[in-house]
Amino acid sequence: MNSTKHFTAFPMGKTKMLCAAGAALLAALAAFSLFTGKYPLTFEGMLRGDAMQLRVFWTLRAGRTAVGVLGGFALGVAGYVYQTVFRNPLASPDVIGVSSGASAGAAAGILFLSGAAAVTFSAFAGALAAVCLALALSALDRTGRNSTIVLAGIAVHSLAQTVLMCLKLTADPERELASIEYWIMGSLNGISGYSIGGNLLLCLFCLAALFLLRRQILLLSAEEGEARMLGVPVGRMRLLILLAATLAVACVVSLSGLISFVGLLAPHGARLLLKRDSAGTMLLGGLLGGVLLTGADILARSAAATELPVSIFTSLLGAPFLIYLIIRGRQRA
Amino acid sequence: MKKKILSLFLAASMALSLAACGSPADSVEADAAEKEAATEESAGEGVEETAEAAEESTEESAEDTAMETVYPVTLTDQAGREVTIEEEPAKLVSGYYISTSLLIALGLEDKLAGIEAKADTRPIYALSAPELLELPSVGSAKEFDLEGCAALEPDLVILPLKLQASADTLEELGIDALVVNPENQELLGEAAELIGTATNTAARAKELLAFTEEQEERLTKALEGAETPSVYLAGNSDFLSTAGSAMYQSAMIEMAGGANAAAEITDTYWAEVSYEQILAWNPQYIVLASDASYTVEDVLADPNLEGCAAVENGNVIQIPGDAEAWDSPVPGGILGAVWLSSELHPEECPQADSEAVIHEFYETFYGFSYGEN
Repeated sequence: MNSTKHFTAFPMGKTKMLCAAGAALLAALAAFSLFTGKYPLTFEGMLRGDAMQLRVFWTLRAGRTAVGVLGGFALGVAGYVYQTVFRNPLASPDVIGVSSGASAGAAAGILFLSGAAAVTFSAFAGALAAVCLALALSALDRTGRNSTIVLAGIAVHSLAQTVLMCLKLTADPERELASIEYWIMGSLNGISGYSIGGNLLLCLFCLAALFLLRRQILLLSAEEGEARMLGVPVGRMRLLILLAATLAVACVVSLSGLISFVGLLAPHGARLLLKRDSAGTMLLGGLLGGVLLTGADILARSAAATELPVSIFTSLLGAPFLIYLIIRGRQRA
Repeated sequence: MKKKILSLFLAASMALSLAACGSPADSVEADAAEKEAATEESAGEGVEETAEAAEESTEESAEDTAMETVYPVTLTDQAGREVTIEEEPAKLVSGYYISTSLLIALGLEDKLAGIEAKADTRPIYALSAPELLELPSVGSAKEFDLEGCAALEPDLVILPLKLQASADTLEELGIDALVVNPENQELLGEAAELIGTATNTAARAKELLAFTEEQEERLTKALEGAETPSVYLAGNSDFLSTAGSAMYQSAMIEMAGGANAAAEITDTYWAEVSYEQILAWNPQYIVLASDASYTVEDVLADPNLEGCAAVENGNVIQIPGDAEAWDSPVPGGILGAVWLSSELHPEECPQADSEAVIHEFYETFYGFSYGEN
């Protein structure tokens, strides 16, 4: 096709255009998300200053939308970072155990603490413990190979799964086990504006750090020797970047529970659309992640009379999109 | 008829295999199909019952003899299995808290040799039959201890539907096992009749069911024409999980003269809703399940519920769980509706009346004085 040649000749223009389109779509979905839900909100009512409508808008809708947009963005960016640093198209923050750590932490919180905030905190602590353990284990190997981190991550992941299983076994099947299962299924329901500030702030901070380090991330994707020659302290830089990406994810999953597919799909989508690796790909990956999660959450809260797990829709929306991109790529090639 | 039952079971097993895909709604469909199958079977029993009713005009003692079980007796349990019991069982094992509670109500606690795990979390055992807490545990629906159960050499084992496979294995070992599925009052009634016949306590089981029926009639009469305030029932695991119109808890609310705020939800398992949804329903009462992992104070202090009628008026209450969870289909489940009717309609159903009923129930069937412990 002619257009392909045209676009590859002007890659920057295409990146900017796609990022702008992604941002516009995300903004539109966010606006739509603010006005979709079970409580009837009207512009007139809110302008009139109806206390109830304003309260629903600010504490429930705004918080949920913010987590959808920023959470999806963070998952997309973190997925991109992992895939690039490990030079592995299947890598995701799950590889080093962040999700299973968060699940085990949440389960412990549900069993031994009380209140939603305590569960969020406990999930975050679990995720952080898993990541620190994985990175510390990998630091024991002085050669600093990528595969060491992956292996350490797999070990920590299985360990966290075992802890989770033990916790489930002691859980009361009627109450606690059900809560644990629901938490693991993942949902943005129950998020309110009162409880998300700390998580979102830390998440933003990590994302900012990742964008500042965007050039180093790309250098790490090159052969290790090459990166070292270009003056990158490979081992330490890799730790720092992975830590920032994983913390951003931990902030999101400790609020929402596990969300499948976004971290894997969004960066692939961006790469298939742009056909190149650059800071623009990272941004577009984030935007696609935000679009996917916000869109999925809108469906999760409006498709049925009850709330549905958001992961159903991230997979349902994401899989066909990925297949479309793959087929399109084939045809062009 | 047999073919019909067979096809129902095929449908049920198909629904069950679908349920493996994860949606709770699917497994409930299977339950519904099983329930239908169970009703079909009991239709046959109905004929005998009318015959019995005709005999009722004769002397009481004659009726009592009619209720005596003649062994060997062949019964169809709530999983549709045929079980033949050769003689009156002397040693029982119960693997489910509802059947254990039922056995106490039938006066069979002395015959129990083993019960389900976590017995110490059921206050009714400590109140009514503390010796049960000393019995060996045969595990839970998650992890049933087949060998431990067999080692107790019971004459009859009563298991929940989830443990049907274990029941079949026990039969292979030569131990009689009945499967019960007390999912709602109706199925609990069937389970009570089944266990009553199997253990030669059918007359007592009948008394137990008559108590529930009598209270249902009393409430229906007292609340005729009364307003029905909307009630949001908050589940055990999470404030945002609730019981839709198809659930046992919804029937309890209606029996107590309330309207289930979540009636539009047709799921047959706890359904997840949002704060917005609750604010949109704006219920007049919020009722917490008796085993809720959060408190009335938590709900009153929840900033997300500000402006909700129930919270503004302080109408947030929890179902008492001092003896057992009345919002589950236990033998004393009717007491949940009795208690709630006084909370919603103190004029029509004075609190003193409800307390008297609750006392009478536990005195009669469990032999302890409620509220004095």
